[in-house]
Amino acid sequence: MTTTAPAGAAAPPQPPSATPAAPRRSRSLTRGGGLFVLPFLVVFALFLVWPVVQGLWMSLTDASLSLRGTEFVGFANYTEAFGDPDVWSSLGNTVFFTVISCVPLVLVALAMALLVHSGLAGQWVWRLAYFAPYLLPVTVVTLIWTWLYQPDIGLGNQLLTSLGMEPVGWLSDESVAMWSVAALTVWWTVGFNFLLYLAALQSLPVTYDEAAALDGAGAWRRLWSVTLPQLRHTTVLVAMLQVLASLKVFDQIYILTKGGPNGSTRPILEYVYDVGFTGYRLGYASAVSYIFFAIVIVVSVLQLRFFRQEG
Amino acid sequence: MNSAPPARGLPGARYPDRSPGIGRRELLRYGTAGAAALLAAGPLTGCASPARAGEASALKVWDLFQGGDGMLMDEMIAAVSKGSDGFDVDRTILDWGPSYYTKLAMSAAGGRASDVAVLHLSRLAGYAPGGLLDPIDLDVLAEFGVGEKDFAPAVWKRAQHKGTVYAVPLDVHPFIVFYDKDVADKAGLLDSSGHLAPMGSPEAFLDAGKKLAEITGTSGVLFGHVTDTAQSWRQFAALYAQTGASFTLPDGGPPKIDTDAAVKVVTFMKQLFDGRTNPNNLDYNGAMAAFMDGRGGMIMAGEWELPTFRKSGIKHLGAAPFPQVFARPAVYADSHSFVLPHQDDPDPARRRQAHRYIAEIVKQSLTWASAGHIPAYLPVQARPEYAKLDPQSSYAAAGEIAVLDPPNWFAGAGGNFQNRMCQPLQSALLGNTSAEKAVRQMVREADTLLRQPNPVA
Repeated sequence: MTTTAPAGAAAPPQPPSATPAAPRRSRSLTRGGGLFVLPFLVVFALFLVWPVVQGLWMSLTDASLSLRGTEFVGFANYTEAFGDPDVWSSLGNTVFFTVISCVPLVLVALAMALLVHSGLAGQWVWRLAYFAPYLLPVTVVTLIWTWLYQPDIGLGNQLLTSLGMEPVGWLSDESVAMWSVAALTVWWTVGFNFLLYLAALQSLPVTYDEAAALDGAGAWRRLWSVTLPQLRHTTVLVAMLQVLASLKVFDQIYILTKGGPNGSTRPILEYVYDVGFTGYRLGYASAVSYIFFAIVIVVSVLQLRFFRQEG
Repeated sequence: MNSAPPARGLPGARYPDRSPGIGRRELLRYGTAGAAALLAAGPLTGCASPARAGEASALKVWDLFQGGDGMLMDEMIAAVSKGSDGFDVDRTILDWGPSYYTKLAMSAAGGRASDVAVLHLSRLAGYAPGGLLDPIDLDVLAEFGVGEKDFAPAVWKRAQHKGTVYAVPLDVHPFIVFYDKDVADKAGLLDSSGHLAPMGSPEAFLDAGKKLAEITGTSGVLFGHVTDTAQSWRQFAALYAQTGASFTLPDGGPPKIDTDAAVKVVTFMKQLFDGRTNPNNLDYNGAMAAFMDGRGGMIMAGEWELPTFRKSGIKHLGAAPFPQVFARPAVYADSHSFVLPHQDDPDPARRRQAHRYIAEIVKQSLTWASAGHIPAYLPVQARPEYAKLDPQSSYAAAGEIAVLDPPNWFAGAGGNFQNRMCQPLQSALLGNTSAEKAVRQMVREADTLLRQPNPVA
């Protein structure tokens, strides 16, 4: 399916290798190494490059899931997509989700990593507790949270009402539902970013921190002026991976709300799925996914530029 | 496959720690051979596991029945597999929902589909015109004792596309009400024979809801619709059909709908689920749990939930067709049917077997009825054993007043249309929008779908 294209294609580019290999060595790489990576290349070409090309072609046709023949329609699908309010609303939902999920996913992960790194007792308990939700499959996570969000008997509303507050329509209120999805996502996936930050923190040289302490810097000053600047590269990595992951949101929403209430949580990828697989219109779905693909690439490039300038 | 090229140019001295046993080239060579052996073995084991099913004679059948329904289907298949002319059936069960229909369409488009598959009749308009189904040969079917006369006309009509029959219905599964007989009795809603008395008007139904709520102390009528992609539509379609108005989806649009009648229905639904005596914010599982917990006297649900409610320990479970509150009786329903997914090059003998299989299975539908479904095959409905099934026989009449989705390629079970209709309806039931606005959005959504180029035409 073409919707997987953005992820693979927009992965952060590898830094160019620092030292060019000696000629003899590189020839040996093409001989032996080439054979080793061949299986990967075959799979990569067959399941990524080819579908991407095929999807592009399909987006210019009226391909469908029926036995009817396929006709070339030029840019008709793209014209239709640009005038389709559902494309824009679902794209808006995706962007909204990305914003409200990425910020806490970076900040909370950083806070958790700093807490654990500060030398709390029982390190392994914290590491396990923070990372454990990430190990659960999406169906399990969604099932747990569906019950937490139950309007009637769910823990969320039980807590609110016991505190004397009004119950909330976690999944039924159009203005709340996307926040509920984001909360679930943060709980579920923050452990991965936490681990990246923790690894980075543990590899920082302690000398700078010690020097700053000797110079009389307090804990906050050291955090702001010594630790965080050193974590900049990790933050760039975490933020980039997170934005790409959030843009691809589909599974938890599809299981939790099916895009409801009233389309308020439907991400663009669900719209592509609905149009392409439930509605058989493969050509149109390809066009919508290519528009999204282009947007993801633009976002990635802009992000890369932004962080480079910062550096 | 060729192994690594000879590395003559490389002096052995470059690999001082190279073990004399297995070197890089040997490793590659053995590795390649091993991988090839594994690859060769893969398909063999793949065939070997369902040994009986892999034989040419096994009839490939796809369906979407899981849980209790799935076990009943197993029973029926076992019944037709007995004896010397019993079938050898290779059954594949797929998860019900949009993905089932995607897979079915893909397999048929590929031309190598299963011999027989299950399809909701409401989906026929999306499959038959696109060539994804092959027609049923009525002569062959008649040889095995099944024909038009054995089915209710309303259902048989929906098994056709442009006069050609593409499906053989197995059941009719309507949207009905279940109720707790004890609670309904205390609320004074039962007739002299102990069944739910007719409602007759919206006011009577609203009143019944309030009375039931008084008895349970919590809620009267339960209905789970939040984040569901079919429930609100089922309820709306039933009530809308009761007003006598029709909802049609002519190709190219606009949809033909009596907006006044639709607004009347949505207004009634909002009144019924006002959030006080009748909770308006339940999802499907929440409503089911609440009913089984005794927190409501009645639930609007599909008859397929009968086994679940039976297991829940409700002492006196009652069931009735969807209450008539407007001008004429009507219930929303769908029908599981058997179809022949398109095959590019069907084997005539297998096709004949497929017809015989369908005929034999529909004759087994008394077993099927035990789960709550109404058998579409009338000779089974006429049997005394069926009349004895309680509460199934109490809503058997629902099959005659069944209303299915308006036919079009995007409508039907698990389709986009139901989902799009449910979104504004859910909004209205939750109190987020007015009945008028919800209906306007429904018309707009239907129009959007109709304006799309038809991918199966």
